[in-house]
Amino acid sequence: MLPRCRAEVGQWPPIVSTRERERERRWTHEVNDQSNHSSSDDTRSRGTGRAHGGAAQSARRAGTVNAAEVVTVQHLVKRYGRLRAVSDVSFSIGEGEIFGIIGPNGAGKTTCVECISGLRAPDAGSISVYGLSPQKDRNKIRELVGVQLQESALPPRLKVSEAVRLFASFYLNPLDPDELLESLGIKQFENSAFKSLSGGQKQRLSIALALVGNPKLAILDELTTGLDPEARRETWSLIERMRDRGVTVILVTHFMDEAERLCDRLALINRGTVRALDTPEAIAATAGGSRLRFVPSQPVDDQTLRTIPGVRDIERKQRYVTVTGTRDLASSVITALAAIGVRVSDVEARAGNLEDAFLKLTQDDASTAEGAAET
Amino acid sequence: MTDSRVEESTNHRSGVRFAELLKVQARLALREPYGLLTGIALPAVLLAVFGFIGRAVPGNVGGTGLTIIDLWIPTILVLAFIFIAISLPNTLVRDREIGWLRRVSTTPLHPAMLLAAQLVIDLVLAAVAVLIVIGGGALVFGASLHVQVLPFGASLLLAIAEIFALGLMLVALATTQTVASVVGGVVTFVLLFLSGLWVQPAQVGGPLQTIMYYSPSGAAARALLDAVFNGSPSYAALLTMVVYTVLFGFIAIRYFRWE
Repeated sequence: MLPRCRAEVGQWPPIVSTRERERERRWTHEVNDQSNHSSSDDTRSRGTGRAHGGAAQSARRAGTVNAAEVVTVQHLVKRYGRLRAVSDVSFSIGEGEIFGIIGPNGAGKTTCVECISGLRAPDAGSISVYGLSPQKDRNKIRELVGVQLQESALPPRLKVSEAVRLFASFYLNPLDPDELLESLGIKQFENSAFKSLSGGQKQRLSIALALVGNPKLAILDELTTGLDPEARRETWSLIERMRDRGVTVILVTHFMDEAERLCDRLALINRGTVRALDTPEAIAATAGGSRLRFVPSQPVDDQTLRTIPGVRDIERKQRYVTVTGTRDLASSVITALAAIGVRVSDVEARAGNLEDAFLKLTQDDASTAEGAAET
Repeated sequence: MTDSRVEESTNHRSGVRFAELLKVQARLALREPYGLLTGIALPAVLLAVFGFIGRAVPGNVGGTGLTIIDLWIPTILVLAFIFIAISLPNTLVRDREIGWLRRVSTTPLHPAMLLAAQLVIDLVLAAVAVLIVIGGGALVFGASLHVQVLPFGASLLLAIAEIFALGLMLVALATTQTVASVVGGVVTFVLLFLSGLWVQPAQVGGPLQTIMYYSPSGAAARALLDAVFNGSPSYAALLTMVVYTVLFGFIAIRYFRWE
């Protein structure tokens, strides 16, 4: 995977046919790759279009990125006046990933992606996007990165097709506007003015504008805020299709279900720093905690339970014992108890979800987080 | 690809982009025709009004030896420029307020091009207004066409530059569309008065005449009038316009914001 990506990065400006062919090849290659590997990996079963090489996948699951990283952010700092919107953020994003940035309002999420897209200059730290600096290589970066901004409207009387054609004319190697509108399901509205579109249609148009330049990286900021559940689900499948085309996606969101469903990896940002950086499952498991309730066949004291790896808290209610902890709690508890001859019955296990993790990681400083601004 | 070839293709591309942008901006201008209506239709109507007054009451306004149509044509020209320039904030402040300029700045196109396209369209509008007012005045109402081309042309261009710079300054300073339209309305009224729409400086005399002569719109009207009827152009009026152009332009650039 590595040499091919390098070749693509070095190829500037990208040539239409080669780049398209490259993408096609990558897609087919990885589909084969997927079928050759066993699908024991739970990430893979979550979505239909999971198209990652095995090595890349396992590297990601460990919370690290393989060598084909396309975005590197190191010790990013951004102040607005005296306010530190971002105090120390570092992460890397691998090619073809959907990378989520989650966090409460005012955490600094938008500021991070604005720095990556070159809209804002960081005060300290470094950012590399496809080996380029968003500040110094402004024009090259803008060819490679498609951006969907939070709360950005179009002139009210601009028509859908005019907007997409106009944006297509800005890029070296754009997608076909008609095909793009077709694939996003807004071809039938192409003669509608922006002001007459519904919320969902506006978001689709916004995605179209982010994609029409045929970007390698798409930054989507709060894409589904304000959409009804159906429109949100449709938007999700659009994002998955985007990834299937080989586009790397940075998704800023404050919806946990969205992050859990779409993202390969997440950075949870709070008060300008990264609080967690891993796959959604891993963050949920480590920070969210798992819970296991059971009835032991004979009394077990707390001492014994605490020696089992992953166990954090123990609660007792009548004959029920409830332990909470991290990672694969159920199997380690059951195995450990079996080893000392204790059987368990009435077992009820619940994995911690991302929302639990989110609340736990952010509640420490929630009371003071309100003063931070996000714009 | 070598750097020069990249440069060449980049230059070609910026031409294509700008043409596409002009096309879209022109369509939008036709769909939201503030500038079109106030910048072209209104001057045409005023020309007709003053033309007929001039026919009914010919000759010698305020002892200047000039007819009403002679005196008011420069004012109507200035009025056209004012209305076109004041329509700049309508679109540009709105485009900034809704995040459109910011949205465009995430693409390889610099948002300054959007501004440039809007200016080109408004300059075309101003040119059309000039043709209508001068052509209509001469053909229909017999206004003098014996102008010295150079001073008259210079006065016209400076008047356009000065009043457009004023419009851009409003774009830079206005925080929202509401502020822009309120301030724009007041500024328009004051400028129209100073340009002599209601009463000509030649008729008022005294300190008010001096204020009118050295105001942005009054200086423009005076320069245009003198270029036609005086042997020599009014250097004071031309210089006044240069000073205002530089001042407004400086403030516009200094305080301009993309978001």
